[in-house]
Formats: sequence, structure tokens, C-alpha cells
Amino acid sequence: MSSPLLTPELLRRLEQFQLLAARRAKSSAKGERRSRARGQSVEFADYRDYVPGDDFRYLDWNLYGRLERLFLKLYEEERELPVRIFLDASESMTFGEPRKFDFARQVAAAVGYVALSGFDRVSVIPFPELAAERRLQPAGAPHLADRAARLAELAARGALRSVRGKRSAIQFFANLSALTAGGSANLNQALRRGALEARQPGVAVLLSDFLDPAGYESGLSALVARGFQVDLVQILSPEELAPVAFGDLRLVDSESGAVQEVTFGRYRMKAYQQSVQNFLQRLREFCQSRGINFFTANSNTPLEELLLKQLRKAEVWG
Amino acid sequence: MHFLAPAALAFAATIPVVVLFYLLKRKRVVKLVSSTMLWQRFLAETQASAPFQKLRKNWLLILQILLLALSVFALSRPYFAAKAKPAELRVIILDASASMQATDESPSRFEKARGEALKWVDSLAGSDQMVILLAGANAEVKQSATSEKASLRRALQACLCSDSPTRLLPALRMAESLVRDQKNAEVHLFSDGAAPELSEFESKDRPLPLIYHRVGKGSNNLGITGLDTRANPDDARQRAVYANIGNFSTNSLETEVELLLDDRLLERRPLTIPAGEASPQVFLATQSRDGVFTVRLTAKDDLAVDNQASIASLLPKPVKVLLVTRGNRFLEKALRAAADMELAVAANLTDPAAGFDFVVLDDVAPTTWPQGNVLAIHVLNTNWVETVASVEGPPIVDWRTSHPLMRYAAFDNVQVKESYTAKTPSWALSLADAPQASLILAGDLGRQRLVWIGFDILESNWPLRVSFPIFIANAVEWLNPANAKTSQLLVKAGEAFRLALGRSETSAQVTLPGGQTRTVPIDPKASEFVFGDTAKQGVYRLRIGTNDTVFCVNLLDAAESNIKPRDELQLGKYTKIRATSMQRANMEVWRTFAGLALLVLLGEWWYYHRRTV
Repeated sequence: MSSPLLTPELLRRLEQFQLLAARRAKSSAKGERRSRARGQSVEFADYRDYVPGDDFRYLDWNLYGRLERLFLKLYEEERELPVRIFLDASESMTFGEPRKFDFARQVAAAVGYVALSGFDRVSVIPFPELAAERRLQPAGAPHLADRAARLAELAARGALRSVRGKRSAIQFFANLSALTAGGSANLNQALRRGALEARQPGVAVLLSDFLDPAGYESGLSALVARGFQVDLVQILSPEELAPVAFGDLRLVDSESGAVQEVTFGRYRMKAYQQSVQNFLQRLREFCQSRGINFFTANSNTPLEELLLKQLRKAEVWG
Repeated sequence: MHFLAPAALAFAATIPVVVLFYLLKRKRVVKLVSSTMLWQRFLAETQASAPFQKLRKNWLLILQILLLALSVFALSRPYFAAKAKPAELRVIILDASASMQATDESPSRFEKARGEALKWVDSLAGSDQMVILLAGANAEVKQSATSEKASLRRALQACLCSDSPTRLLPALRMAESLVRDQKNAEVHLFSDGAAPELSEFESKDRPLPLIYHRVGKGSNNLGITGLDTRANPDDARQRAVYANIGNFSTNSLETEVELLLDDRLLERRPLTIPAGEASPQVFLATQSRDGVFTVRLTAKDDLAVDNQASIASLLPKPVKVLLVTRGNRFLEKALRAAADMELAVAANLTDPAAGFDFVVLDDVAPTTWPQGNVLAIHVLNTNWVETVASVEGPPIVDWRTSHPLMRYAAFDNVQVKESYTAKTPSWALSLADAPQASLILAGDLGRQRLVWIGFDILESNWPLRVSFPIFIANAVEWLNPANAKTSQLLVKAGEAFRLALGRSETSAQVTLPGGQTRTVPIDPKASEFVFGDTAKQGVYRLRIGTNDTVFCVNLLDAAESNIKPRDELQLGKYTKIRATSMQRANMEVWRTFAGLALLVLLGEWWYYHRRTV
């Protein structure tokens, strides 16, 4: 199982994990998760009085022998856990060395692989939407190769909407690799739509830089309100944490195209880092108050550090 | 506040230019970033997008305007006009004596003193004036009263240190005359204080406002303080060179003393001199022709100028003496006892006795008075002395033992029957005094050297005393023109060299110790050649016509060799001046502004680099 996204070694270690869901699975499809529903499994749940029409196979004959009354043994129904991965594919994710988007894809692949290994269903939702974004681009016939690539990506995006089973992992990785980033994202809109679209809530993993001037609050609130257990990984590039360009600068926003002029020197590095910390702190506090797991990752941190230590420690999986 | 150079305020026109530069749009480096969200905090203060847009608060701009304002202010030379304060006069006296060459201060005391004086020049307030006097061999006004700092600095830079002893007295007198009518005047003396003659200074009407800046700290010095050469009394073919070497430091010092004749080493002897003591040294040397003896100390000390001294030594010639007497065996015998003597005796003198070195007139009024040196005994000549009276049995109450004539000659048991007495004339010193008047006079009258004895020695018991032959021997020595000439050839640094001219000359050539040759014009009517440029010690060679003369300039001054800086100056009998620790006084205001401007410039530089680097 070779993949450009994750090393075989890492995959082997990820196989040991299982996503931990604090809530009972609410999916209607059968799976390996405990649910409130009663059904067929080996996990004993309760007794109830026999009523005519019940399946005799579930009668507890031992109890009948002692009490001479008929009781039916109830078992927990095991169901699947829907895992939705919201992947920020906006233009701002293409920055950084290594690129934030590459890092995000790797995390998405790892989360997806763990979920697939646990017989859970995985949906990857990249935003912004590809077609809607491309329509806004300047007129003129796109090149044929471009069109073919776009069609391929559209197909990949479609395939990623719902993946199940460990056997789908290779295709899953290939589809993730086919994704590209570009355009301007609206985080709130994407999350709200994701919350509405989900038939059953489950685990939502959000991979983004959260550098959206419109904010992230309403989107996250919508997910939580829908009943998702939200895990949030903020990915920033090293340049965003400690800029290396100094002097009189004209900054151009990659997504909005807005131009802003600053004069920046080393002595202001602290002030800059302070403002970054303030931004992170606001996000962290917002998450804590809503029971969201929050992680910050520099795009050049080793993947193993985040996956095997931080996520495990926070009991995202175990 | 007033301005000395208000025209400089026109430079303030540059301030709007700086503002203009800030109004113009700055060129920026375009940089694509993922999001400008994180930069919001830095946008507000430096946003400038359109040319000639509203000026924003910018520390760089404020600093640059402040810098310009301070510079313009400094250029306009502001000052505070103090009311009713008359201009001050500062007289700077720079001691340029030999001891100021001591190297205990780096590079030398003189340079240090010059540096201090320059600081005072810098601190001179607007209308104050300053005079610069150089007290070297002579007191010299290097710069008359002015407030022009450039001239004062130039004058100080042009000062040179001499090899001569300190002559502060004339400089102080000059300074006193300068500050006499000034209310706010100060005399600043930069010296090491080696000036013993200052005790002779008496202020005329009010104390001299003297501030003494002491220069120097060490006293590590060995010096030659005396040098003389004579015929060896034991062997007339040899010369005896006498040198006195003093140790003025607080430690015992070792050195080698070398004797050279015309740069040829004759003798070298090691010497250890205890602290504060002097060691007289006598060298014996054979001399076959006229030459220059040089005594040299090899030890390294703080003052180099007194480590070498030279003396010109002429070969002894027999002294020719004419004794005009009616018969005086005592005198004749005493004269004949002198070494190398050719004595002629006569009863009367009818010609000026030009062939003799000197003439002894013993109770004879000659027909013709001699031209040369004279020892006159009981002779009256009204050209020499006036108001002559005759006294009976005058007691000799005092005699001047310090005079070379009176060396080892005591008069305590000499009785005189009768004597002429004379008021001491201006040319002479009284050597022996009766209560009424002088009995013995000696001095130089014009080019003639005279010894006048008022009484007839045969009418006294003096010939029977041991002091008589000694006195006569001293007189032969003193009156011998050759000896006088020899002593003329030894000049103290800074003193004029004088030489009698035999005939009329128009120019002379002097070769200085450094090797430079100087041609000195001579007035054809002058009877004497005078050369005053003797500030540097060493051997000078003089050529007048076809005659060559060698003379030596030396320091030979114990007070100067004692380079220990004095904390106190004895000024007159009762005044003591302590060394001051005062430093330069009030500074001109523009320096403050210029300094502030510099600070602001540094601050601006720092701020700019912090922003952009």
C-alpha cells in the first residue's frame, strides 16, 4: 500500500487506532459503533417481557427455568459512525513551504484511513466548490488539458463524498491527491451547508487556516448544533507565524486581492506574533466553550507528531 | 536668547522639504501573502497610498524635523546675554621651560599643558577675550587680546618648548600689566611650578588673579646641573672637567657618565646616586687643541634635555700682567705665585698697555689710563667712582663671599689704617663694606673689567693674612680676559651670547646644534655681536669673517632639573598659590544643540533600522 500522502510505516501505525466518538452513533447503517438502537450484536443491553410475535431465538431460557416467566434478551445494535472531513481548498492554503494544503491533505488521508479501518463512512468535503468558483473566472475557452483536469477533479470530489471500507483506501488516497486548491472560500457557508446536508451527525474534522475575514463562528456553531463532534486542526505556514519579508511592503491578499501597505521590521516581529497569538487564542477559546477539540499545526511540523501524539492525547482516536 | 549667526536660521527652509518627501508616496515592494488578516494591526499607522495624501503621525518624520531644527539652531549659534557682565579677559601663560619637556605626562608636559589651554580656548564665551603668553627663554606675547578662537588656537599650536630655565617672572609682570585695569580678569598659568624666582614677584596694588594649573606627576630625573673646565692645578698640561650630577627622583638611580672631547669618547664611569643627592664628578683629560668637552648621562629618565652638557675649552695661554707700582713686594710676590704668569713691572704708565691682559695700578695715578682690565689699588679715577671720601681706620664689617673674587678670602682679621670710600656705582658690586661705604668694588664698566680697592694694602695688615694671596690669585683668574672669554662661551639656554668684535663686520654665520646655518647681519658700528636665539641646547659654531668661535648652550639649572611638579607656588613673600583642579568653564550653547542633534540622528538611524531591517 504505497501512497504519496502517507508512508506505509505511518499507515501501519494508524491501523491500531480507532476514532473515539463521545456520542452514540446515530447512523441508520450497520457498523461497528455502539448505538442507542437495540438490534443484533454480541453486546448485551437489557431484558424485556416477551410479547407474542417476538423471535424465540432471543428468549432467555435460563431465566425461564428459574422464574418461569419469558424474558427477551436485548442486544445493542452496532452502527457506523459518519466521519465528515471539511477540507479548506482555498487559495490561501496554497502558501507555505511545505504547502498548507498538502499538509491538510495528509491529515485528511490519515483521519480517513483510521475511519475506514474502523468500518466508518468517510466524506471529504473540499470547499470552495470547484465548479462554482471556476465559473467566476474570466471569459475565454479554457484549455483542453485544463478542462480534462477539471473533470478529473470533479470526479474525484464526487467520489470522496462517501467512502466506506478499508478496501477503498487506495482509491480514497488517489482521489485526495487529485484535489487542487484555489479560489476564495467562505468558511461559514461551507460549514453550515455541511451541517444541513448531513443525514446523521457524526464526527466532523475541520482542516483550514481559518484566515477568513468573515469569521468562522456561525459555521462552527451550526455544526455543533447539528450534533457533530467537531475536531478542528488549524494549519498555518511558517511564514505566517514569523514573516521573513521586511521593509516597506505592499501586501496583496491572495483570496480577495485587497492591497494593503505596511512597514515592517524585525523589532515589530513580537507585535506581529502577538497578534497571531491573539487570533489563535480567540479561536481556542471559542472552541473550548463549545466542546470542540482544537489543534494548531505549523505546516512544517512532522505529521507523526500531530497524528500519533497530539490527536491521541486529545482522545480524537485511541 | 540671542543668535550670533541669525542668517543660519535660513536653513530652516529645509524642514518643509523633509515634510514634502514624506508627503510623496513611497515605493514599496509588492508581496503576495495568503491573507492580510494577520497584518491588520500594522496597516493603520503607515497606510499611504496616494501622492500628497494626508500626513500621518510618523516618528521618523518627527525625529528628522527635530534633527534639522536642532542643527539649524546650533548653526545660528544661540547664546544667553548676561546682563551687566563685562567681558572677561583671560591671560594664558604657557610655561615653555626645559622641565616642561618631561615625558612623565604623555606625550610631554608641554603638550598636555597646550591641550588644557586649548580646552580653555574652546570654552571662551562670546565676547570674552584671551591673551596667550609663552614663557620660554623670554616672555613672548603669542596672541594679543582677542575673542577669535581660531587665532588663539593657531597661536597655541605655534608655541614651541625651549631648553631654557623657567622665566615666569617677566611673563607674570606682563600679565599683571594686562589685567591691571580689568575687573573680571584671570591669569591662567600652565606650568609644573619649577620657578623659584616667583618669590621675587610682588603685586603692585592688588593680588594677581592667578590660577595655577599644575602639569606633571613624576620626578624621575637625573640631570647635569653644573659644568666647568679648568687647568688641572696639579698638572698644567691636563684639563680638569668638573660636572655636578643631581638625582631629583625619590629613588636611588644608576647611570653611566661619559666624557667626550669633540665627540670622541674619553672616559666612561658608572655611577649610583642616592635619591635627592648630587654627585660631583671630576674628569682629567689631556687636551692638545681647543675643543668641546661633552658630559653625557646614559640613563633613561623623564627629562632628556639635562642629560647632556657641553663646554668649550680653550688651551691655556700665559697671562701677561703689567704691575705699575712704586714698589710692593707683597703684591709682586702674590702675582708671581699665579700659574703661567708673565709679569712686567713699571713705575708709570704712559700708553694704554694694549699688549697686556690686565694692569695692576698700585697707588699710582698713571699718565694714561689703561684700556684693558685693571686691578686698581688706592687709585682715584672719577670715571669709575664718585663722591670719594677718605675715612680713618674703617672696620670691615661685611664682605660678599659668593663673588668669585672673594672665594676662600675672609676679611675678619684685616685692619686698615685709612681708605678711600665710594658709593657703589651702578656697574659694580661692593665686595667689602665699611659702615660708611664700600672699600672694594668689582664689576664690568663697558668692556673693561675693574677691581677697585680703596685702601693702600701696605697701610693695612692684609698682606700678612692668608686671604691676601688668595684674593690676588682670584683676581688674576677673574681679570684674565681669556677666562672671561671662556665663561662667555658657556651660555645658559635662552640667554644671549655676546662676543666683542675686534673690527667692524657686516654679517656672521651661526651653525645651530641641529645643523641649520643662520646668517646674522651685524651693524658695522657695533662693538659687540649678540646672538639671542639660544633656546635649544647644544654646540653652536659662529663664523665672523675668518674667525671661528664655538660656544655651548646648556640648561645647567638645578631648579629646572628638579622636575617634581609643585603643588604650590610662592608668589612674593606672603602669597601662596595652590594648584587648581578647575577645568574649562562654560560652554557655548550651540554645542549642546549640536550634541542633541547628533543624538537625535543616532535615534533616527536606530529607529529606521529597527523598522526595516
